[in-house]
Amino acid sequence: MGLIELAAAKALASSAVFLFVTLLMMAAAKRISTCIVLFSAQSAIMAAEILAVGYANKSIESYAVAALVIVVKVVGIPYLLFRIVRNLKASQDVASSTTGAQSVFIMAVLILLSFFAVAPYARTLQLDEAMLAAAIALLLAGAFLMVSRKKALMQVIGLLVLENGILLSALTTTFGMPLVIEIGIFFDLLMGVFLMGLFVFRIRDTFEHLDVSKLRRLRG
Amino acid sequence: MTLVFLLLIPLLAALIVLTCKRPRRAVRVAMSAGALEVAAIANAVWRVRAAGMLECGRYLRADGLTAFFLLSVGVILALVLVYSIGYLRHIPAGRFSSPRWFYSLTFVFVFTIMAVYLSANLGMLWICVESTTLASALLVGFYNTKGAVEAGWKYLVVCTVGIAFALFGTIALYLAAFKSGVNPESALDWAALMNAASSLGANRDLIKLSFVFVAVGYGTKIGFVPMHSWLPDAHAEAPTPISALLSAVLLNCAMYALLRFDAITSHAIGSEFSHTLLLIFGGLSVTVAALLMVVQRDLKRLLAYSSIEHMGIVAIGVGIGGPVGLFGALLHTFNHSVAKSLMFFTAGNVRESYDTLRMRRIHGMARSMPWTSAGLVVSSLAIVGMPPFGLFISEFMILTAAFSASRYLIAILLMVSLSIVFGALLHHFQPMLAGKRVSVPAKLKLLPTDFAVMGACAALLVVFGVRIPDAFAYLLQRALVVLQ
Repeated sequence: MGLIELAAAKALASSAVFLFVTLLMMAAAKRISTCIVLFSAQSAIMAAEILAVGYANKSIESYAVAALVIVVKVVGIPYLLFRIVRNLKASQDVASSTTGAQSVFIMAVLILLSFFAVAPYARTLQLDEAMLAAAIALLLAGAFLMVSRKKALMQVIGLLVLENGILLSALTTTFGMPLVIEIGIFFDLLMGVFLMGLFVFRIRDTFEHLDVSKLRRLRG
Repeated sequence: MTLVFLLLIPLLAALIVLTCKRPRRAVRVAMSAGALEVAAIANAVWRVRAAGMLECGRYLRADGLTAFFLLSVGVILALVLVYSIGYLRHIPAGRFSSPRWFYSLTFVFVFTIMAVYLSANLGMLWICVESTTLASALLVGFYNTKGAVEAGWKYLVVCTVGIAFALFGTIALYLAAFKSGVNPESALDWAALMNAASSLGANRDLIKLSFVFVAVGYGTKIGFVPMHSWLPDAHAEAPTPISALLSAVLLNCAMYALLRFDAITSHAIGSEFSHTLLLIFGGLSVTVAALLMVVQRDLKRLLAYSSIEHMGIVAIGVGIGGPVGLFGALLHTFNHSVAKSLMFFTAGNVRESYDTLRMRRIHGMARSMPWTSAGLVVSSLAIVGMPPFGLFISEFMILTAAFSASRYLIAILLMVSLSIVFGALLHHFQPMLAGKRVSVPAKLKLLPTDFAVMGACAALLVVFGVRIPDAFAYLLQRALVVLQ
């Protein structure tokens, strides 16, 4: 095995740990912009992983997907979100309903849980357990961020983290879906973030705040 | 090419209608595009009926099931577009809430719905279902009031998260196909998966995992009960023609996606697992929605809960399975679409003349707006499943199937819920219709188009209650062949 292959294998093996670190930092983050940077970093790790997989399998499609991840998730969406944050001119606080310490603790528990959840599947399907656990942890973490943070933008970020989890699960189990499908999913994601951004402005203009927990006119 | 036209017409219409600055021209362009689209649908359905299956490239395909649902989209689209002529007179002009924006977004929405039905690939199916959410979120928030913005946001977030689970389920199915040696390029193609279904059975756990996630994901979009929170808000706050489209077309569209997965799962590991899950979701939706209908105060929210109930009935029909159950379920999607459209149309008229949808504030409808009241009476009799309307036939079929399969529990649950719904509608509508003519600002003058639309709905309901047309029954049989 050549040096580059070895490096690729090492990167693939340890990237799950990096992903867990971004998740724990996201749980501790107090400002929305920190979370956006962390999301960008998380996507960059995934892009690196896809490149590693592509290199190992000699697949050109993987390079295309990695390029998509870099364009859309590492640069595009974070840029869009930063623009929204700047134009909103609102407080940057994530408005968490749990304290920082509690959030980190809950995130750690979620990561542990995901290891337990994937253990049987990883064994029968002969897949990398850490990576699969990272995928499930991203899913759960996204859901956790969505329910515990009150700011509308944090819900968007939670959704993006959840989506990252799905991408990673596809990557670890099947080396990614056919390219056309991946492109479609990315397009949907970009449009979704764009639309949610639009709605964030509308919420601000009609309600004069961005706290989604106060959106409770419609009941029953 | 037939299939490409179905996608091209709404897409072009969305662009062209945007250039029409004058409202009247926008309406005219929208109507002609709508007529073209309906004609294209009729053509496609006719050809599928003759040929059995139409394909265009690797990503577009229409078979019997598609044709059946396309027909139902065509009917509802025609009704909704014609109704919107009368409705749009009342939209105040604004930058993003003018007729041209309304029609443009509507055609984008129609485009995504068509794309869902024509996808030959489950991955593309997911992409298209997600796009329907994106395309319709702006329509839900169209009026930009507090309620509309909140409903739009909730719709966007809840459905996107829900649909994300469906993507996870799709990936799990892809993995199962991948593991059982289906060529990765066609491992998401539903026809290829149906052919390879017997070998998929080797990965039993994965298939089960996949179906659970897909049922939760697309179930969010269908409005199954634990995931239904977006539905009443979106239906109540959207402009009325859009409420009708959401209820009569979009919910069916998500149901179609679930049916495709259900067929593959049933072929691979037997129908026991997926059908039990559908029965649970269906039973929950029917009971909870029926109970919540009793306490509603807003007319359109009441109708939205009724949609949840009817989607539950369809899920029960599919869950019981067998030729009769499935036939009833498919027929029910069509009947429900027609009846619910009529209900939303009358609700729209009520709102225009009373300026409110609070049912407690509405009195004396029968005297002050007799035709709309007649529409409301006909549609509510139809929706609770009274003969001689179509829904009686389909509900009766589903119940028959339930009893002959000895599923007594679900049959009794269904009958009890239907009685509760009957009581609830009577409780809500009787005070609205009866009473003296109050000082109604009777500014609403129905156009000939309104009469045509309401008349057509009522006629369809009666025709399907008396005798299902042969051509339609044949199409339904074709659809059943695909599912079994």
